[in-house]
Amino acid sequence: MRARIIVAALLTAAVAAAASTAATAASKASAAKSITVWLQTDAQADNWKPIVAAANAQFEAAHPGVTVNVQYQTWGAHLQKFDATLAGGTAPDVIEMGNTEMTKYMAAGAFQDISSSKSSLPNSDSWLQGLALSGRYGGKLYGVPYYAGSRVVTYRTDLFKKAGLKVPTTLAQFQAFGAKLAKGQPKGFSPVYIAGTDWYFAMSFVFDYGGGIATQVSGKWKSLLASPKSVAGLTAYKTFFNAVSKASKTTDESHPNPYDVYAQGQAGSIIGPAWFSCCVGKQYTGVTGQFVVPSHTKGQVIPGFLGGSDLAVPLGGDKALGVDWIAAYTSTQSEKALQAIGNIPNSTALTNASKINERAATRSWFVPTAKNWVNVENGNILRNMLAQILTGKLSVRQAAASAGDNIESILNG
Amino acid sequence: MTEPLPDRAAGAAETTSPSWSRRRQPLTRARAFRISVPYLLIFPVVAAIAVILGYPLYNLVKLSFEKYGLFELIRHSGTWVGLDNYSSVLHDPVFWHTLLRTAVFTVVNVGLSIGIGTLLALLLVRVSAWVRILLTAGLVLVWSMPVVVAVQVWYWMTNFQNGVVNYALTQLRIGDYEQHDWYATTFSQLGMVTTLIVWGAVPFIVVTVYAGLAQVPSELVEAAEVDGARPWRVFLDVTFPILKPIFLILTSLSIIWDFGVFTQPYLLIEQSRIHASNFLMAIYLFEEGYFKSDFGRGAAISILMLVMVAGMSVFYVRRMVRMGDVE
Repeated sequence: MRARIIVAALLTAAVAAAASTAATAASKASAAKSITVWLQTDAQADNWKPIVAAANAQFEAAHPGVTVNVQYQTWGAHLQKFDATLAGGTAPDVIEMGNTEMTKYMAAGAFQDISSSKSSLPNSDSWLQGLALSGRYGGKLYGVPYYAGSRVVTYRTDLFKKAGLKVPTTLAQFQAFGAKLAKGQPKGFSPVYIAGTDWYFAMSFVFDYGGGIATQVSGKWKSLLASPKSVAGLTAYKTFFNAVSKASKTTDESHPNPYDVYAQGQAGSIIGPAWFSCCVGKQYTGVTGQFVVPSHTKGQVIPGFLGGSDLAVPLGGDKALGVDWIAAYTSTQSEKALQAIGNIPNSTALTNASKINERAATRSWFVPTAKNWVNVENGNILRNMLAQILTGKLSVRQAAASAGDNIESILNG
Repeated sequence: MTEPLPDRAAGAAETTSPSWSRRRQPLTRARAFRISVPYLLIFPVVAAIAVILGYPLYNLVKLSFEKYGLFELIRHSGTWVGLDNYSSVLHDPVFWHTLLRTAVFTVVNVGLSIGIGTLLALLLVRVSAWVRILLTAGLVLVWSMPVVVAVQVWYWMTNFQNGVVNYALTQLRIGDYEQHDWYATTFSQLGMVTTLIVWGAVPFIVVTVYAGLAQVPSELVEAAEVDGARPWRVFLDVTFPILKPIFLILTSLSIIWDFGVFTQPYLLIEQSRIHASNFLMAIYLFEEGYFKSDFGRGAAISILMLVMVAGMSVFYVRRMVRMGDVE
């Protein structure tokens, strides 16, 4: 009897729980009193948060009674979480996507077509071309350019001065700084801290030497990694790394964060987004400067990875409110504020060549626009190749050839 | 069948009396209750297992026969593809390399955990009460540490730039370990994971084997010693046969745990270093299923893993039972 009562009670509880979740789902659909926005944790930084808050205030003023619920996600885990919400029908109303992540999701139909709202979005006629392309698929618009980023050198002006060094104009010159900056420093000091498997930076060498990652030949993806030019670029990266960096040859650029290494006084300079200047430590704030990484050809900058983010409205999200929020967050005022903290704004009408990161973006490269590209990133194919090259486990040519085969099979799979 | 006898005798005496039925009725109900009690008692467990395990398992099996990627996930419906997922997994060289690596990894981890655990348990019997308490307290502390916390501590200790292990080894003049990368090769990555897993697994084994050792009659051990048996022989011929059931359980459990281990390798090796060249089975499953959003294929891999672990356990249990029969 007891057991039956317990079972009955459990059943009742289960039914009640199911009913209550159904009720919340229904109420959400009928009257959207709040919208959910997923942004990356970058936007949680002290100087970035007010920009989000200002957009929210503007949106809420225009839509009385609607509140914005911003949830911050990490780059490493947000796609798995997004998949889960797509399966459960609880996707957010707006999501920030990395521009290399867009194609796979657009191809699968994860976003709502917002082509008809394009004209109502701020500066949509002058969006940065690279970013705008990452938000289009099959002639339709799914992603709104949010911001772009390039990589620059953040360096200790005091150390450069002491060693009698000026901003380098060629890669060879920069490489030669290694020995001069390391003089008198402890063994673990990196003149230029580069995480060994920072493939964004390593691929810049490949593109600087005229190589590439992969290209489409009559509908099939073909690897370019083992081409003589790419191998020359990878070899140059290895030489550069060995001359200037004491970082682990197998770690990525966020374990540890380069600016933490810098703030601990263990680096003379670091490579990364221009906003790295935020976190260089109190003692170095006054003696920190930035410059663009020079190319191996004099007078040019090294091609940088044009990273960036798009904002999209997932399937199941509230399209009208989602687009309105995106419009508020990508307004001219908002983009100018993003520019002020070191990002590249989403429109050529707002870019400013006097800004260092925008100068760095004058030569840029992008990943192959294949729907499976994100699987190459997540499979750490390029990172593993760099670890093999730097640790000497394989020769540059061998490592590049094996990674290239891998990439071809993923992209054509 | 002894109980009903007096009952029937009483009934025979008063066949027509209404008190017969009054006395008989509560008895049948009691008997029915007695028969159904075991079923009632296991009902909640069976129901819970059916809901918690059965339903997801059914869905998993169904998923493994479907093409179910991101496209299907968004539409909430897969397409039936029969055995395609299984054949694609079984034709994937990465699967076979990973399986071999995981098998070796499991053997090493189970062997080390059981070996070190048993030695520590034997040590516990011999030390003074004070040392025993100290040792047990240390072991329980290790045991109570959450896995993720343990990984963080391990990660911090073996850090490349500022790790305390590198510092200590250098200071002790064991070698120049300044900026030594403990995660540079697959062998050393899995070696670090093994240390962490064995460290975490030993307490449970020590406590269990120690409890088992209390059951070994001291007269038997003394008799063997009087007959001139060396400690190793005593362990092999007296202690081990008595503890065999315990070792059986510990080994099967450890195989199941270590074969499917995920948290320690995934967090310690670090996502950016995870690659086909250092996959363990659970990580291979995670990468194929979640990272590549190929949920059908992921389901097929997990069914294969389930079959393998179940197969290993059955094989092992039967062998141990047969070994017992021969003796």
